[in-house]
Amino acid sequence: VPGAGAALRPCSSRVAQDGINKPVIDRIIRVDHAGEYGANRIYAGQMAVLGRSSVGPVIQQMWNQEKNHLKRFNELMVAYRVRPTVLLPFWNVAGFVLGAGTALLGKKGAMACTVAVEESISEHYNNQIRTLIEEDPEKYKELLQVIKQFRDEEQEHHDTGLEHDAEATPAYSVLKTAIQLGCKAAIFLSERI
Amino acid sequence: KMAAAGGLRRAGWRLWRARRAVVRCPQYPPRCALQASAALRAPSDEHKKEPWASSSQQHFDSPPAGHQPEQKPQGPYPSYTGLGGQESEDYESEEQLQHRILTAALEFVPEHGWTAEAIAEGAKTLGLSVAAAGLFHSDGSELILHFVSECNTKLSELLKNEQKLVQLGRAEKKPIDEFLRDAVEARLRMLIPYIEKWPQALSVLLLPRNIPSSLTLLTSMIDDIWHYAGDQSTDFNWYTRRAVLTAIYNTTELVMMQDSSPGFEDTWRFLQNRVADAMTMSNTATQVQSTGEAVVQGLMGAAVTVSNAGTSRAVR
Repeated sequence: VPGAGAALRPCSSRVAQDGINKPVIDRIIRVDHAGEYGANRIYAGQMAVLGRSSVGPVIQQMWNQEKNHLKRFNELMVAYRVRPTVLLPFWNVAGFVLGAGTALLGKKGAMACTVAVEESISEHYNNQIRTLIEEDPEKYKELLQVIKQFRDEEQEHHDTGLEHDAEATPAYSVLKTAIQLGCKAAIFLSERI
Repeated sequence: KMAAAGGLRRAGWRLWRARRAVVRCPQYPPRCALQASAALRAPSDEHKKEPWASSSQQHFDSPPAGHQPEQKPQGPYPSYTGLGGQESEDYESEEQLQHRILTAALEFVPEHGWTAEAIAEGAKTLGLSVAAAGLFHSDGSELILHFVSECNTKLSELLKNEQKLVQLGRAEKKPIDEFLRDAVEARLRMLIPYIEKWPQALSVLLLPRNIPSSLTLLTSMIDDIWHYAGDQSTDFNWYTRRAVLTAIYNTTELVMMQDSSPGFEDTWRFLQNRVADAMTMSNTATQVQSTGEAVVQGLMGAAVTVSNAGTSRAVR
């Protein structure tokens, strides 16, 4: 029973499960959790390369916010009894490689990666907000609040990336398109698997 | 006069349903019985995720609605569990009737096995025609799935009540291995009255047709046990723990089939050993991981020292 000490507590607090659209909520929380986990790893990769450079503090600050996001989704995952995606170990490696790889292209490369990813995530959160509002804004008030707040913070990261000359990266549009395609695929898979 | 009319209506209702059971099966392919099993989810159960039930249940419920109007000219086709509203007391849905038949049939399983005979006997005790067995598949799939589902519900209730006692401070919180052992033992003990015929049931559950349902029931039971054990993992551990517990449960179940010791003590000892093995494995894994991390740090430190020594020698 791996990790018996850390993740076991007397009894998990649960959200009342009656009346919620379980399949939809499951997907939303699972994919968002995977997304924040991946974002964490991307920033970790960027810090590993650029941690001691001039953009280090900027990246660190964005990373700290992502850590909070992940923590919040961990709590929501337990509360709603949602299964995490099987692909977590894969996103662990892929995220770090993406972050470190783009950071090796330089500070602008790292910022370009941030812009691409954060744009994808903002759009994705907006879709989820629309879905939840269509379902029942009252029932999912807490979840909606969380997603809205996170979307705003991701949008801030996106703007920060632009401020730091992301667009001046060589082959910016190619890089951005490739990364966003990857994000779309990751979202598709994490919702289902 | 009203009572007499009610009584007549009730008797006519029962006869009509029995007749319909004979009439229906030739009309609808065996699929209908499969979807009947889909509708057997216990209505009050909220713990289990049974996606396989929901869509086929709706599909199945719509054809009967067409037959109802001449009997009970009411509104849309509802699913009432009891009294209330404008419905007469003995109006029940297809799903509830099947639920009652299968529950009644369980009593006859030790004698007849998981077969249509047991279902027929069960239907008889409810005052229905033995043709009601025609509502179900001849290999007893629905009966077995119903039984498994009922056992899982009972287990959930048990664990929920235990949790309440702990929360109220009236009971001690068990250590994790004892909790898992007790939960698995409680669940397996529900098989004891049917133990003779259980191997047959297992083989039916493994039929390709039944695998999605039986797998869903198994995974939701294991998830329930871990939930009440206090599992809050949100990483790959979620899968590892459930896989380990599923293996423990399945192997213990198989051992139980072959066990002839008094009170199944061999089985419970086997279970205890397997759970202990799992705990050891997890402790070892944690130790290996921390040792590995310490080794890596040591190597990094050594590398830094060597490179510093090299550069200082070069400077001199």
